[in-house]
Amino acid sequence: MFKRLELHNHTTESDAVFTCRELTDFMVADHVDAFALTDHNTISGHSKIKKILEENALPLSCIYGMEYTTYYGHILCLNLYEYVPWENINRHKPELLFQAVREKGALAGIAHPYSMGWPFARGCRFEMDMTDYSCCDFIEISNNLEPLHEVNERGLLLWENLVLAGERIAATCGMDLHGNSSLHGHFSTYIQGEENGDIAKELDTAIRSQKTWVSKGPLLLTHIQNDILSFSVQQTGKPGYQQPEEESYLITLRSTSRTITCHLSDTIPLSEFGCDLSIIPKLYEKEPIMENLVCVSPVIVL
Amino acid sequence: MNDMKTIYHVEGKLCKEFIGQISYTVCLDQSWDELDIEFAFSPQYFRPEDLTKERIQELTEYCKTEYPGFFSSNEEIEDAIRHGTKTEIHTLATLNDEFIGCVHKQLTTRHMHITKGEASDGCIPQSKIEGVLKVTLIVFSVLLDNTDYSLTVRVR
Repeated sequence: MFKRLELHNHTTESDAVFTCRELTDFMVADHVDAFALTDHNTISGHSKIKKILEENALPLSCIYGMEYTTYYGHILCLNLYEYVPWENINRHKPELLFQAVREKGALAGIAHPYSMGWPFARGCRFEMDMTDYSCCDFIEISNNLEPLHEVNERGLLLWENLVLAGERIAATCGMDLHGNSSLHGHFSTYIQGEENGDIAKELDTAIRSQKTWVSKGPLLLTHIQNDILSFSVQQTGKPGYQQPEEESYLITLRSTSRTITCHLSDTIPLSEFGCDLSIIPKLYEKEPIMENLVCVSPVIVL
Repeated sequence: MNDMKTIYHVEGKLCKEFIGQISYTVCLDQSWDELDIEFAFSPQYFRPEDLTKERIQELTEYCKTEYPGFFSSNEEIEDAIRHGTKTEIHTLATLNDEFIGCVHKQLTTRHMHITKGEASDGCIPQSKIEGVLKVTLIVFSVLLDNTDYSLTVRVR
């Protein structure tokens, strides 16, 4: 089964309006399978959510984490259960913090790399000199409420370029929820998992193997048989998504040397991609423009 | 907080553009049931007299260079400068090198209040309040020279 995750959320434990209980209820109401608790620089909400989930039979899980909110960028940490000091962060060696977080078994990624920073909110833009991306597990390619082109399209391109350069980085997205904003019409992260499966393990597996979908509802699935690439779409029933006729879907396949645009019913020989090592599949409605993007699928490694 | 015992108080000034931490270490000479850390600073925003024509021009140029496409006009940038720029300082505390809380809210006065069973937002209840308390001011942004701050640690 596919699980829908909301991976970036805040509560009154930092600077948001929802209490831990309200955030949990909000996620239940939108039929989310699992949500992350990623308050700024604190893990104080962990025990509260854990208690809520233990005392109530709620149909969702929590992914415990934190958003390291530093002077030079925000680092989203998932499956993090303890506070790892960040205050001595060196802008020129951010890998040290990523590594310290990962040594705890957590996943570390870059949140909203192109948000506005100083003089409005120092640190919201990722300004660290990252030279070794092997310690970065994921990049938040859509921070849903941020400007589409100025922030999210650039974030998507950053991820695409790194992946096509050979980095093994997963794509995620999040609402960066601070208030009562509808999740409808926005991207969620989807992973494969089992009913009643351990969400922490499933997320870890998905991120480390780059098997994440960032989608507004439909999941673009790719199939390879006899070196021929074919496609199908699985609808997830995400609230707020209006499913169009399947004929209106368009797919782009970006590799290092080319971008191929095709329809859902097309088949593409892998030989079209020459010596390229990876392909990024994306699903659009009607026209392959950022406004119409509905799904970014896991990278195909050739 | 009135009947709590003040065991540490400090006041200071920050200069504009400082980024970094200032830490204060307090050795607790006995066990306590309740801890309150109060931090305050001022000013948070530019006062009208601080926003000279030159400063607005300088920040407008910066925004146009760094954030193309975010604003549709100079007026919109100026409005964001007047209402969106801020001095931002947060507080973090450890007890015997263990994290006990961080307040990351846009407040000019904040309390980290901790007892055995309860704690204010961002903080974690502590079964024992004893040992070495370290309070760290995390300074993200300071708009103006001579920004005042004060820190008070109280116990009961």
